[in-house]
Amino acid sequence: MGWNAEDIRREFPIFSHPVHGKRLVFLDSAASAQKPQVVLDAITSVYATSYANVHRGLYGLAEAATERYEAAREKIAAFIGATDPEELIYVRNATEALNLIAYAWGREHIHAGDRIVITEMEHHSNLVPWMALAREKEAELAYLPVSDAGELDFAALPSLLADGRTRVVAFTLMSNVLGTIPPAPELIAMAHQAGAVVVVDGAQAVPHLPVDVNKLGADFLAFSAHKLGGPGIGALWGRREILEAMPPFLYGGDMILSVKKHNATWNDLPYKFEAGTPAIAEAVGFGAAVDFLSSLGMEAVHQHEQALVAYALERLPEVPGLHILGPTHSQRGGAVSFWLEGIHPHDIASVLDAEGVCIRAGLHCAEPLHARFGLSASARASFYVYNTTADVDALIAGLLQVIALLRR
Amino acid sequence: MGDLYREQMLEHYHEPQNYGVLADAEVDVHLDNPTCGDTIHLTAQLDDEGRIAKVMFEGHGCVISMAAASMLTEAVVGKTPQEVAALELQDIEEMMGGLRLSMGRVKCALLSVNALKKGLKERGRL
Repeated sequence: MGWNAEDIRREFPIFSHPVHGKRLVFLDSAASAQKPQVVLDAITSVYATSYANVHRGLYGLAEAATERYEAAREKIAAFIGATDPEELIYVRNATEALNLIAYAWGREHIHAGDRIVITEMEHHSNLVPWMALAREKEAELAYLPVSDAGELDFAALPSLLADGRTRVVAFTLMSNVLGTIPPAPELIAMAHQAGAVVVVDGAQAVPHLPVDVNKLGADFLAFSAHKLGGPGIGALWGRREILEAMPPFLYGGDMILSVKKHNATWNDLPYKFEAGTPAIAEAVGFGAAVDFLSSLGMEAVHQHEQALVAYALERLPEVPGLHILGPTHSQRGGAVSFWLEGIHPHDIASVLDAEGVCIRAGLHCAEPLHARFGLSASARASFYVYNTTADVDALIAGLLQVIALLRR
Repeated sequence: MGDLYREQMLEHYHEPQNYGVLADAEVDVHLDNPTCGDTIHLTAQLDDEGRIAKVMFEGHGCVISMAAASMLTEAVVGKTPQEVAALELQDIEEMMGGLRLSMGRVKCALLSVNALKKGLKERGRL
């Protein structure tokens, strides 16, 4: 099928504005993606035509708002292959989703001496909540290591599962630094066989490749709208039986059935986990973003990015003294991190910025992973639907300029 | 932003002034910026009047942090500890030739002056 990145680029209004007088080359979508016009329109239309609080009002406008809010939930659930939209909970972002699991599920199910298994390539949001839980409960936090090539080394998993102490295995479906895609079905099958619950951080994977919770087989999937072209909102998908057995995370309005002075009963799914007035227009924008991606086709999105990654991996070695972090084959995600000998990543980002090229420099919220590679920071270029090979060319030209300026 | 990498900055980055360690220095301090990995080891000697006589630094980091440290070692000679303590971001920007630093780079520029302030405090000079 024909993929026309230039046409897709035109759907995103931000690209009609030059940066420092240059064509905007946006290579930081792994942090947050740009928004297509259809998402902006959806959000505006909520406020312009159908805004009121949801699930409360008895007037038509409130019903219209509720309908759009719930219709978006159905779309987002379907986008990840979930057949039951009530298993899809709106949250602020993937970070909040992971915290929700660690607090609401973790505090009930993790006890002293239990083990939590995560990986060395986790984003802090799928690391620090587990660290805090392990400390609070005097549980053990174990890490599956990452190889020098940036692949997940899960050889130790069977022995970590063998003693029956591992209650949860949590891992990312795509590293935000290395682009690595771990063998999720294999890991999930092993964990389930040992009776562990599986938490998958889909913040990087869900925007970039087809994810079907039924095929995946995990118990929880966390992801953000803002990384897939939507606004600042996110979602947690969880298995109904697990979600129903969990206590609420936040208390307040909308999440209760009945409140007396000294006790209360909780609302049904998904509302039990949606206390307070939610981000209504953002939810509708989230729905519009998944519609946009579905119209492109997630398989096509993935193929487009793999082609860009392959091209980037072919061209980056032209830059002298450049080292790529993570797999150098193209069966990986669209986040490509690297470092340049003798040049601080902040300087790379600043020099590229002057050329209209936006990349990330720093730890990318993955400090233990950087420590594992002996780095205090790295630079990262990440791709999305609107990127083109011309963007990769601009990156390479910019990096050669960095070297001309800063290496002596 | 290209302004950041003007000739004066690059000269100080590539050929830093007062690079190294001052032997038997009264002020001897390490400071790092954990969010970006910049580190500095700064040594300084005061004269009989209690003014800064000599400052040396070593470390690694970005152009901004290293050039700022190099320039600082020249700019603070003759100042009292109180004058050093009074240095603010605006003064450092002035010292760097009137640069305007973006929010993300302020910490880099202030690493060396903060190290000097910390070291003076440790020695009871502030």
